[in-house]
Amino acid sequence: MASADPLLTCRICGHEHRPVPLGPGERAHCVRCDTVLAHGSRLGPDAGLAFTLTGLLLAAPAAVLPFITAGKLGEKQTGRVFTGVEGLWHNGMHLLAVWVLLCGAIVPAALLTVLAGLLLPARLGRPPLQGRLLARAARALSDWAMPEVQVLAVLVALMKLGNLVDLTIGPGFWCYCAMTLACLLAWRSFEFQAAVENPARARPEPAQP
Amino acid sequence: MKPRPPSLRSGASANAGALAAAAAAMLVPANLLPVLNTQVSGVSRTDTIFTGIVELWRQGLWAIALVVFLASMLIPVLKLAGLAWLLLATRGRARHDARRLTQIYLALDFIGRWSMLDVFLVGFLAGLVRFGALTTVEPRSGIAAFAIAVVLTILATKMFDPRVLWDAPAPPDAAASPS
Repeated sequence: MASADPLLTCRICGHEHRPVPLGPGERAHCVRCDTVLAHGSRLGPDAGLAFTLTGLLLAAPAAVLPFITAGKLGEKQTGRVFTGVEGLWHNGMHLLAVWVLLCGAIVPAALLTVLAGLLLPARLGRPPLQGRLLARAARALSDWAMPEVQVLAVLVALMKLGNLVDLTIGPGFWCYCAMTLACLLAWRSFEFQAAVENPARARPEPAQP
Repeated sequence: MKPRPPSLRSGASANAGALAAAAAAMLVPANLLPVLNTQVSGVSRTDTIFTGIVELWRQGLWAIALVVFLASMLIPVLKLAGLAWLLLATRGRARHDARRLTQIYLALDFIGRWSMLDVFLVGFLAGLVRFGALTTVEPRSGIAAFAIAVVLTILATKMFDPRVLWDAPAPPDAAASPS
């Protein structure tokens, strides 16, 4: 490769671009297929790390605090993040229970941990350990992290059960919602900044023939 | 970040097609088998995905019925139809509108995960509603078939290499390369 600049390859069409600086709020589109390649964060280069750490901090209370308390004829049941997993496991659907546990809890937490492993050393001015491997892991994990779908499922469950049992929403659900938002924003910040080796500082131009 | 190698993943479209066909096959038991059994005050009721949606509608929960209909019935079918379209359009060297097909691919990639809604919902209801023998919710085998169909569909979309939309009609040495 003769070019000194790191090349920015479109993830959709494979077209290569030469990165140039990108201002806050500016978006870079692929010249061939128009896919967004990178965008300059309005919140500064540390936004991704801030969202990642927020998500990690919220993960613990989201995991232990109650989501919903359901009461019927004096009896009470508490729903938590692992309630869906228990429901499937106790009915013999072990594989499906593991799958729900992965998509709703383990993979989002792993994604946040990997992002922290990438962004924290970069913020401290050190190269991340196994950076390329971690970036690939983050992309793979992001495909299977579905906390936002779990949030919607709990909301649908709330509406469905509304006239069957008495419901109270607990703090765990709010922590989980906030963690979900932080996870999505952290991934989004990372995805578009990681398109080039110098994060948040690239505007692609067509590669020189 | 290292650029992707210029060659297309070999066999990606065939693999995507096979996974999509398997997903379509799994949608049959997913829609015919019951997904949920509800016991309220001793009255038992078993629902498939469709009868569950009809029941929500009947209870006046129209918005929720619509959300579940979109996630559990429309999106899986739309996604497989869209994938079939992409695979057929990129077969051989026929000309196609690459930009439009790219938009379809990005849309399919975005909507796929929302089909998991019913799986999370059935699990959560089964875990939460356990009030002795009088009021319980239990999952049924249809939900496992549905989850398999969703996972196969997501895998099929991941397997599909969108560069085939752009590179197929051109000779292999036309891939962009730096000077």
